[in-house]
Amino acid sequence: MGTEVVAAPPLSARPSAWRVVEYQLVAARRYWRSMVILGVITPLTYVLALGVGLGVVVDNNGRQLGVPYLVFVAPAFLTAAALQIAAADASFPLMAGFKWIRTFHGMVSTPLTPDQVCDGQLLWIAVRLIVNSSLYLAIMAAFGGTQRWWVLLAIPAATLTGMAFASMVAALAAVLENEGNGFNVLFRFVVTPMFLFSGTFYPISQLPDWGRWLAYVSPLWHGTELARGAGIGGLSAAAAIGHIAYLMVWLVSGVLLARWRFRVRLTK
Amino acid sequence: MSAPETAEVLARNSDEAAEALISAQGLTKRFADFTAVDGIDFDVRRGEAFGFLGPNGAGKSSTMRMIGCVAPVTAGTLRILGRDPATQGPAIRARLGVVPQQDTLDLELTVRENLYVYGRYFGMSRAALRPKVDELMDFAQLSERANAKVEPLSGGMKRRLTIARSLINDPEILLLDEPTTGLDPQARHVLWDRLYRLKQAGVTLVLTTHYMDEAEQLCDRLVVMDGGRIVAEGSPQELIAAHSTREVAELRFAPGANAAAAERLSAALTGDRERIEALPDRVLLYVADGERAVARSHEIDLFPLSSLVRRSTLEDVFLRLTGRSLVD
Ligand SMILES: Nc1ncnc2c1ncn2[C@@H]1O[C@H](COP(=O)(O)OP(=O)(O)OP(=O)(O)O)[C@@H](O)[C@H]1O
Ligand SMILES: [Mg+2]
Repeated sequence: MGTEVVAAPPLSARPSAWRVVEYQLVAARRYWRSMVILGVITPLTYVLALGVGLGVVVDNNGRQLGVPYLVFVAPAFLTAAALQIAAADASFPLMAGFKWIRTFHGMVSTPLTPDQVCDGQLLWIAVRLIVNSSLYLAIMAAFGGTQRWWVLLAIPAATLTGMAFASMVAALAAVLENEGNGFNVLFRFVVTPMFLFSGTFYPISQLPDWGRWLAYVSPLWHGTELARGAGIGGLSAAAAIGHIAYLMVWLVSGVLLARWRFRVRLTK
Repeated sequence: MSAPETAEVLARNSDEAAEALISAQGLTKRFADFTAVDGIDFDVRRGEAFGFLGPNGAGKSSTMRMIGCVAPVTAGTLRILGRDPATQGPAIRARLGVVPQQDTLDLELTVRENLYVYGRYFGMSRAALRPKVDELMDFAQLSERANAKVEPLSGGMKRRLTIARSLINDPEILLLDEPTTGLDPQARHVLWDRLYRLKQAGVTLVLTTHYMDEAEQLCDRLVVMDGGRIVAEGSPQELIAAHSTREVAELRFAPGANAAAAERLSAALTGDRERIEALPDRVLLYVADGERAVARSHEIDLFPLSSLVRRSTLEDVFLRLTGRSLVD
């Protein structure tokens, strides 16, 4: 009997974080249509209102940008959209898993570990960002917002940017115990200003010194530079490596922080 | 698991693991400076149904979460299936079924999807899961709701689904934290029947409850917990024999008159194990012969509004051990 007791579990495979992604895919069967519709409407609105409308004004007032305004802003919008989706998906939905529907507590009573639950949730957000950014880019292309194939690299750039931020937000979601008021502060005082101070609408050389420093800190600016470099060029390899390195620092510290907070929250 | 590691585990555990699937010595759980589980010892043997009985805050769930390899042990030793939860949590959890006190079902998913997804967490293949999911929906009498969302299901149905879900990996040990709290009597009996069948099939059951009848029905052995400690241990019959009398006479006097009556009734007691418990609404006489105790109360001109003689239950054991009623 002793041997029977300690026999290794006869289960086919050790589960991985991908099982958590699979769970999200099953759940997404119910809402993928609205996800796609939103993923189409958002870029359409931006293209029409800002890219085309504002673009006419900007393009008529001298062409210092060197490219049509839509081509200038499209990669930046794409990156900003990725960041916003990442922040939204890593906030309240994750908090629900800890607090309201408690699904994460169910996951860690299986062989899954808190680290895997964390990784799985982040991977799922990455999948969403890749899909959403591709959709975004397709729509931009349809309206003449792209000029060369290199622009495809805006998709990984936007995904990296989103994930760098999502991992930090996920850590926060694992910490917050109240009804999530911390997220409202985050959206109002971090996410929205980031959109305005990251060179989305105009190069940050137009900003005063303090504004430029905000941009240097913001992951969105680094992502925007990468995506825009992909779309219209003019980005040196050294600068690209610097931007990637900065975002990687955010991502790695964010993931480590998030895993740690998931462990603390799920193993009380 | 690599071969040398398996061999080592085998060598270390072949003798004691055969006796106890779960064994705890000095098991302690502290939250900051609050001690929720205060150095308890127990063994759970293969195939038995083992219960933790205790009032709110006794430390039952904290103990269950340590056994479930979710909450780390603060102090003491805990071995499950001969393994240390601190280092082999995932491997142990692969062999456990867990019914937590609070459901963790995904309300947006269907009954079927909840079972499927959970099985995937155990690394089970899609092919193996398909028949298993059907079997479990049948077991939980939820086949008709297979493709319905979980959200609108009744509390009892959700509980049955949680229990079905806990069986997806054919667990060797099933941990049930208050499996029937909040269910109506009929649903509880259905669940008891299901659990009894699992026990017949060789599954080791570990459950917590504040229901005496549940403990008496299901448990071969149980421990009574209070304030993080184990205050008694044994089979339901042993506990009753050790901590109560054969019969109990319950005398109900007018409101406010119970305490005074209890005072006068102490004279009616014989034998050193007999005693009186005055509750706000009634007086309990723990005696060998209940009818005679009622007769004696009449002899000393005490006429209760109503009286009833019954056998001792675990409720009485609990009252005796903790001075408190179990269901508050
Ligand atoms: N995460 C936690 N942090 C701090 N204290 C906790 C935590 N979890 C439980 N406790 C405390 O530990 C004690 C034991 O709680 P536990 O949930 O184990 O009791 P229980 O016997 O399961 O009670 P119930 O019958 O109400 O479910 C309680 O006083 C509770 O407040
Ligand atoms: Mg409890």
